Amino acid sequence: MAVKAAGEGIGTASQRVETRDGPRVASIGLRMLDAFPFVTRHPSLVTRHGLSLLSIASFLALWHLLAIVIASPYLPTPLAVARAAIAAFFERDFLGFTIQQHIASSLVRIVWGFGLAALLAVPLGLASGWLRSVEHLTGPVVELLRPIPPLAWIPFAIYFFGDPFDAVFIVFLAAFFPILLSTLAGVKAVDPILIDAARTLGAKRLRLFLQVVLPAALGNIVTGMRIGLGVGWMCIMAAEMVGVKGGGLGVYIWSMGEIGRFDAVFAGMAIIGVVGIALTGAMGWVEKRISKA
Amino acid sequence: MKHCPKLELRGVTKTFQSKSGALTALDSIDLDVRAGEFVCLLGPSGCGKSTLLNIIAGLDQPTTGQVRMDGQVVRQPGTDRVMIFQSAALFPWLNVIDNVEFGLRMAGMPKGERQATARRFLRMVHLSDFAQAFIHELSGGMKQRVALARALALNPDVLLMDEPFGALDAQTRDILHDELQAIWADTHKTILFVTHNVREAIVLGDRVIVFSTRPGKIKQEFAVHLPRPRQIESYAVVDLSREIMAVLKDDVLASGRDAEAQLLRELEARVVGDDVL
Repeated sequence: MAVKAAGEGIGTASQRVETRDGPRVASIGLRMLDAFPFVTRHPSLVTRHGLSLLSIASFLALWHLLAIVIASPYLPTPLAVARAAIAAFFERDFLGFTIQQHIASSLVRIVWGFGLAALLAVPLGLASGWLRSVEHLTGPVVELLRPIPPLAWIPFAIYFFGDPFDAVFIVFLAAFFPILLSTLAGVKAVDPILIDAARTLGAKRLRLFLQVVLPAALGNIVTGMRIGLGVGWMCIMAAEMVGVKGGGLGVYIWSMGEIGRFDAVFAGMAIIGVVGIALTGAMGWVEKRISKA
Repeated sequence: MKHCPKLELRGVTKTFQSKSGALTALDSIDLDVRAGEFVCLLGPSGCGKSTLLNIIAGLDQPTTGQVRMDGQVVRQPGTDRVMIFQSAALFPWLNVIDNVEFGLRMAGMPKGERQATARRFLRMVHLSDFAQAFIHELSGGMKQRVALARALALNPDVLLMDEPFGALDAQTRDILHDELQAIWADTHKTILFVTHNVREAIVLGDRVIVFSTRPGKIKQEFAVHLPRPRQIESYAVVDLSREIMAVLKDDVLASGRDAEAQLLRELEARVVGDDVL
């Protein structure tokens, strides 16, 4: 009982202290924070979704405000962009394409270019990482070609390959080197102790490579693919703007810009972003499947 | 062949090329190990004892000299002598049982038989409940148990253990000492065990081979006749460790080489550290 009484005493004492000037100011400050219950280090799920919504809503509001205040023909309001985006799905543009066709063109290019790059760069990276002779054989050429930005190949690609291989070629170049270098680095980074352990357990040559080196390097290989896909998506837009034929999202936003339809330009940008997110998601899905296998 | 030792090391020398010239890691090591013997190689870090184990495993080649196992010269790794590493060296993309099965899979054993064998050895190291666990979920001691099961599953004649308990806390290490002694008594494996811990060497070994450093050489050999199972805190173990330390100390003081004296002090510090525990 005596202990409890002492505890109560301390409680009242601290309450009394709180009513004094200094602490009261502090407590008012804290109570003001109470008006914003989401300002915590670990907000609840509902609060988190609320905050995300707030974030997007404020962004759109700010954009809208800026568009109205600046009143430039080059900066449409979000509403105008939304209208243009919806319309693009149902109407053909002056080039004769719907937005679906533009999306399809870009996707086909990225899938082919990226797929070919991965198909070539992964085995080559694995071989150069594992076999010194292959590295010495391919290394100089790789180092010679790698510093040339993929975009610098566009004039050559357009005149040499033409549609549709020009754009596929650019994506291929863009994705090839990141995948190659990550794969090579991944093989080199395999812990030599794991290789020793596998050898002492009876693993030799090809099986040592397939069952130890390959799974150990897989994380780096997938990272390389992720980077390759991102760079490829960037380069395909540039290539399409510069002048590959046959539609594409890059073609779309460039052409819309040329005729002053900036609502459509922004709509195209938004769609490019969404498709980019979808590609990243697809990559993540493939990644999960690979790591489970 | 009955009298032929399990392992014969003859004049095993290893030199490495470095920027400052050739560095002799091992200097003409001669050693015989009988079948079923538990031999501890004791020495400070950098005395070449791990290099020696690598050479016996066939993961490394001697510059001169040779290693023979059952009379055959060792030239490459073989599953008749499996190495266990300080870092456990488990494959993080495989779960526990797949790790234990790894060597059996390499040997081409069918899946059913492989799994049954792996389960038997997981039971031996008391990890039956963790067959499906992933490596990152295990403690350091559990990882070493998996590594032990993975090696034993191949039924090798010789286990080569490179400071396997060096990174574990003292309690876990003591438990694993007991278990390793029991497994050794059950399976009659020949074990070469590298350590820098004097008392660990005495607890486990029939013989303790003390290495000097730079170049790595066998300095002296101690036979351990204490009854098993041995406990690391028993007086007999502590007494013998003092004896080994004293001999080492005299040896080093007589030679009067600073670098070696420094290494001995490190070695001694570890023993004193154990005494505190």
